[in-house]
Amino acid sequence: MAVAFYPGCSHHALAEEYDRSARTICAHLQLELKEVEDWNCCGATAAHSLSPDLSLALNMRNLSQVKKMGLDEVITPCSGCFNRLKVAAHEIEHHPAALQNFAAMAQCELPSQVNVRHLLQFILEQYPSQQIESLVKKPLRGLKLAAYYGCLLTRPAAVVQFDDPEQPVALDGLMRSLGAQTVTWSHKAECCGGGFSASEPGIAGDLGGQILASAKDAGAEAIVAACPLCQMNLDSRQALGCDLPIVYFTQLMGLAFGYGWNEMRFSKLLTSPKPLLSRLGLL
Amino acid sequence: MMLTESPIRRLDAKAPGLAEELKRDLDIDITRCLECGKCSGGCSYAHGFDYTPRKMVQLIKLEERGKLLRMRALWTCLSCQLCLDRCPSSIDMPRILDYLRGKAYAERLNDVHPEIEKFYEIMLSDIRNNGRISETLMMARFNFATRRYFSNADLGMKLFFKGKLKLFGPKTKNLNSLRALFAKLLFRSPAEQEPS
Repeated sequence: MAVAFYPGCSHHALAEEYDRSARTICAHLQLELKEVEDWNCCGATAAHSLSPDLSLALNMRNLSQVKKMGLDEVITPCSGCFNRLKVAAHEIEHHPAALQNFAAMAQCELPSQVNVRHLLQFILEQYPSQQIESLVKKPLRGLKLAAYYGCLLTRPAAVVQFDDPEQPVALDGLMRSLGAQTVTWSHKAECCGGGFSASEPGIAGDLGGQILASAKDAGAEAIVAACPLCQMNLDSRQALGCDLPIVYFTQLMGLAFGYGWNEMRFSKLLTSPKPLLSRLGLL
Repeated sequence: MMLTESPIRRLDAKAPGLAEELKRDLDIDITRCLECGKCSGGCSYAHGFDYTPRKMVQLIKLEERGKLLRMRALWTCLSCQLCLDRCPSSIDMPRILDYLRGKAYAERLNDVHPEIEKFYEIMLSDIRNNGRISETLMMARFNFATRRYFSNADLGMKLFFKGKLKLFGPKTKNLNSLRALFAKLLFRSPAEQEPS
């Protein structure tokens, strides 16, 4: 199976371990990722904050690049990119006249009917849990995780249409398929403030700190994330008295499928999961 | 008998101009607000706002355009979409804030959080010039522009030693199509502040 893959800007630098582990597990699942040709940045919070139209237009162009490849589905591992692409696809469907204007400006065809899914959503919807379980060589026994969804993976519900925006369960289910435990906790769908990591670190520290404290309080020994901005933000707020490893779900899938520490680039995480994974005999 | 003066203003029955404007430009009907306050109850950063989402609705109804365009919350809202999902009337408050922020930006009214606006401008100028962003260069330019030379410096060192700071990555090739979009859709060109 082949699908268009939109990596997003983080995957070429800050989230190299997410990129490598995602590509490895997709290959393991016999899923061919075709990087969207000549993609542009989704504009993230910056574009929609100063010009919502620019945000729609930038992502309309990305979707048109998917169409040019002869594909009508794109998956992305970043919740921020996922949200912006999904909103654009939704607007193309509901307000085509306005988007047609942007297509004319960018000199491309208006891309209709491009399905946008987050990598986590794609894996869960495409591969039944029994299939995932059958690939597990090294069950993650004893690993107590807080599954963290953040804000943009499931919201707004009417547009993204994935899981439950208040009490999401998808990532918990996937982690249990790998043999790990997940805790019940209060902040799984709270925003981490990652958009303000650089411009207002006080806000990012305030919100990120609450999430770390909540996970720790619930008995988690690590947080599992599905977004490079969330991972980076939470991992850089550890000074607030926490030392929870923040790992990507793709790294844990790889570990359970039999890949090692180096292949999953665990050493790239700021807070090392080595003591935890060694203690559980998972390395 | 004279009514004593109350600090609470009664709303006129007639829909005010700003509400009409949101209906016309965004197809959002603010009069459907049930005044339940669930938006503010759930808001992750309400404790840091000068006006909560529930109060913003009231400011719209009261036609307090000046307060809305100059409030701190216009820039510190996280756009996490929680208020929208909790609203029984599905009022898209994040979209309203994008709309108002766009106006405040175009009219240069942001004197409460200039650093947040500057960060967005630097990011957009990177996208306009390269199609994609380099997180490392963006951070460096932001710290330089805001004279916060050592902001996040500890983090920067940690990232450096992890080999995560990359200055250059692949760029988008067809930049003409992107520049056409920026020229027509951004109220103020980032090139004004950040020459390429």
